[in-house]
Amino acid sequence: MSTRFKVSRRAFLRTAGVGTGAVVFGSYLTPSLQAQGLIHNLINGFPVEGVPVVALKVNGDVVITTHRPEMGQGIRSSLAAVLADEMEADWKRVTLKQPDAEAAKYAVAFPAEVAADVTLPFPYEKIPSIRDAKLQYLVSPEGSQFTDSSRSMTAYYTVMRLYGAGIRLAMIRAAAKKWGVDEKECRAEKHRVYGPGGRSSDYRWLLLGAKKETPSYEDISNALKKSEEFRYIGKGKEKMPFYDALDMVRGKAEYGADVDVPGMLTAMIERCPVANGALLSYDPAPALAVKGVRAVVPMFPPGVRGGGVGRAFMPLAGVAVIATNTWSAWQGRRALKPTIKWDLGPHASYDSAAFRKELEESTSKPGRTVRKKDDVDGAFAAAGTVDARYYVPHLAQTPMEPPVAVALFQNGRMEVWTPTQNPDGAQQAAGAVALGFTPDQMVLETFQEKARKAATVHVTMLGGGFGRKSKPDYIAEAAMLAKQMPGVPIRVQWTREDDVKFSYYNAASSQYLKASLGADKRPTALLQRSALTSFFGTLFPNRSTPDLSAAELAAGAKLRADTYGGGEYPYASGIERAQGLEDMPYEVPNIRLENCEAENHIRVGWMRSVANVYHAFAINSFAGELAIAAGRDQKDYLLDLIGTDRILDEKTLVAQSVARYRNNELPLAAIEVPVVKGGKVNQVVAGYPPDTSRLHAVINQVAEESDWKNKVAKYKNMKGRGLGIAAHRSFLSYVAVVADVSLGDENELTINDIYATIHCGLAVNRDRVLAQMEGGVVYGLSYALLGQITVKNGAVVQNNFDDYPVLRLYQTPRIHVSIVDSNDPPTGVGEPPTPAVAPALANAIAAAGGPRIRELPLATSSLDDAKKLEKVMFA
Amino acid sequence: MSVFQLNVNGKMHAVNVDGNMPLLWALRDILGLKGTKFGCGVAQCGACTVHLDGRAARSCITDVGVAALSKVTTIEGLSYDGSHPCQKMWVELGVPQCGFCQPGQIMSAAALLAEHPHANDEQIDSYMSGNICRCGTYPRIKDAIRRLAGSATS
Repeated sequence: MSTRFKVSRRAFLRTAGVGTGAVVFGSYLTPSLQAQGLIHNLINGFPVEGVPVVALKVNGDVVITTHRPEMGQGIRSSLAAVLADEMEADWKRVTLKQPDAEAAKYAVAFPAEVAADVTLPFPYEKIPSIRDAKLQYLVSPEGSQFTDSSRSMTAYYTVMRLYGAGIRLAMIRAAAKKWGVDEKECRAEKHRVYGPGGRSSDYRWLLLGAKKETPSYEDISNALKKSEEFRYIGKGKEKMPFYDALDMVRGKAEYGADVDVPGMLTAMIERCPVANGALLSYDPAPALAVKGVRAVVPMFPPGVRGGGVGRAFMPLAGVAVIATNTWSAWQGRRALKPTIKWDLGPHASYDSAAFRKELEESTSKPGRTVRKKDDVDGAFAAAGTVDARYYVPHLAQTPMEPPVAVALFQNGRMEVWTPTQNPDGAQQAAGAVALGFTPDQMVLETFQEKARKAATVHVTMLGGGFGRKSKPDYIAEAAMLAKQMPGVPIRVQWTREDDVKFSYYNAASSQYLKASLGADKRPTALLQRSALTSFFGTLFPNRSTPDLSAAELAAGAKLRADTYGGGEYPYASGIERAQGLEDMPYEVPNIRLENCEAENHIRVGWMRSVANVYHAFAINSFAGELAIAAGRDQKDYLLDLIGTDRILDEKTLVAQSVARYRNNELPLAAIEVPVVKGGKVNQVVAGYPPDTSRLHAVINQVAEESDWKNKVAKYKNMKGRGLGIAAHRSFLSYVAVVADVSLGDENELTINDIYATIHCGLAVNRDRVLAQMEGGVVYGLSYALLGQITVKNGAVVQNNFDDYPVLRLYQTPRIHVSIVDSNDPPTGVGEPPTPAVAPALANAIAAAGGPRIRELPLATSSLDDAKKLEKVMFA
Repeated sequence: MSVFQLNVNGKMHAVNVDGNMPLLWALRDILGLKGTKFGCGVAQCGACTVHLDGRAARSCITDVGVAALSKVTTIEGLSYDGSHPCQKMWVELGVPQCGFCQPGQIMSAAALLAEHPHANDEQIDSYMSGNICRCGTYPRIKDAIRRLAGSATS
């Protein structure tokens, strides 16, 4: 959905936090406060104006609002610790609070009025264009709570530091005034200010003085700590806290599935197996005969098509069984299922094996050129060429906690409890249901704002997300049922089978690569064709959406074009093109990158690392193939391919993106403040362009960690042993992976070791960065070895972890992870560890004398490629 | 519907449900013990692992009628305060990521170490491979158990 906020200058100052007179201690303890508010604040702490994430209690304790949902990335502790570090808060006196959806509150505007000669704080001095690009938001309201794209730390690191430093400075000034000394003689440490003559005071005694202080933006940015003064951040002097660990190991952490609202009923939904289907008829009697079943309710009236292609987050057609407990609902659903008749609709013939052929035909023909340099065809004609085609199937995210939501409708409002990566999307979805708004209306800002006001969304801990919980379809389901039973809290519980069969799948993709090699065995030209089933095909109505009028089709196309890097159906969106295609880092004289057609027939969304999954697999595998064709060492060849240390040609790459962004989405003249969606565009385009020196850095470090040179020499004389390497930039971070494998006589695969190195700028929470690296490698191995969603007759074939297997402990190799030392602005770590794993593995198998793997997963037997590994086994 | 006497964490509870209701749902929906998680419903993922008379069992496929014959221990009963050696080691090594599967992982690990206090890698692999973690915390789980078993290499 596209959201356009127009923010007046006043509103900007109010929400900015880092604006002029940034940290203003609020009006707490003033007579004007209502008694009720006073009591609330006595319990929960008094808000600090200008710092929307901090409240201070009268005893000086700090309540930090962790506005980014927690799904395993550790962001609750990490962001809070960044703030606490700068604030010099004693962690023992910090409590964390997970707030409701309130995206506008946590948006961060850039202080455009800051004088031109003021040095911007790290990292903004690294963004030369930030002053003239009219980038008013560091994080837009739309993206302030939306936890995807690995951007929480990137977006909020400096903001949290400024918030913390502002409070510390106010405390120091309050103490200095109290003691009648110069503030320069005072310093703060762990909730105390120390002054000359052995004086010291706890923050609690300084609250009243501090509230009168209004340190300026300039003063605060000058007060930021130097890196050697950090307590928790990076290589700080104390261990970074992990606030939730104890609750997690005691079973006390509350996930969405654990919410219990008095009077709550549980619903299970039998859904149409095919996208865009409709209910024809059903018989509620057998389900109602099950003990505990209270109601049987269709999601849409018979004949009305449910969600699917072009229907964004609209729930699928289905019938809900509502019962007093989960098991009764499940039993009722089983009784209901045989009575349902569906209109399966136009996608009932979708077959993923046949579709794969379509995708491969698509990459056999020229597509739309998305990046071009000189004459590829001429170079191909002049030299010998190498080509290869790669395939990656649909994949499901399968977080450990299946989707779940509780909704209560009363007095015209919707109250929701749910694990969501997208609180604002959830709030809009729930509010739209409460008010009966249509999808057409919900593209308009006025309706979105009304919908937000009609819903409260309590965000719980997430039992994993991986992109699945970015889509609020399951929240809309709960809201739709709750609306039919006002006053009764309704919990919609998905089974694992539901999760596997009704995901928003990662795209299926065919990738074709071709290169010509010159006399020096380096490529003279490179062609890449990428066909992928874009998630924009799910988000915006298109010709694969049934029953659309010409006007609806046109409106869908326009809406899509108006959204970042829109593109046209059935092509990729700008988001997908920018994830490993347009930013292809190899230094080759002639380049043409094309995007080819791919139709949508099931719901496509995104999974950890998204389009980087197939782009990284293809390009890195191809680099491995070229190294073999050239008779060169893989690692040296890869470094050569990447070429000189440089910022990727901004004129052809970044400028293209900007032009597309501006021309297709936001005609600048028409609006006052350009929207930076989720802070993504300014980060990618202005602040963090692809930097090949970082790719070099991770490759060199992982080569050292894995003892690449000596092992390659040693394995040359060993049968069935090999090393493979791959490197990929995604979500602004850079990761290189080395796989060490053995192959048996029948090509049984043993993965001995995986080495992975990341460059993510400053690693703020080193332990969580390492944890994300370990987990990202496991996630990457899961889909490389095992992951595959297939579709027959429009319905997903797989059911549960038995036929959609994921990596288990005994299959997990030794994993060695490391971080490139850096003090540059921090970048994402949730998704980047994943993409390079599969191609490193494929390259290692080839190096060990095994077949060249050009399709995933390795362990499938349903594909009849003769070059397939005959057996995949595990160490 | 029948009344079953369930001994959970040392306390007796009378639950009035169908005897084929899985223990998981009786724990979560009837007794309000939410530490035991639903992950798959078919004993594939181990998120619902509890102890029956000290042995690891998947509560999603254990009927209440069967569970009533044993002493049931859930994550809430492993310790009141997180002081079980597994829980302490899990915190020390920062094992959890999202944390959702960890009660089940810990119940499996605790049963393994109760049976094999000096578990070797083979025993760890075989006991712990019924518990899925999508965040990929396996390396740290293995490290934690090795340390508790005194078989750590580092």
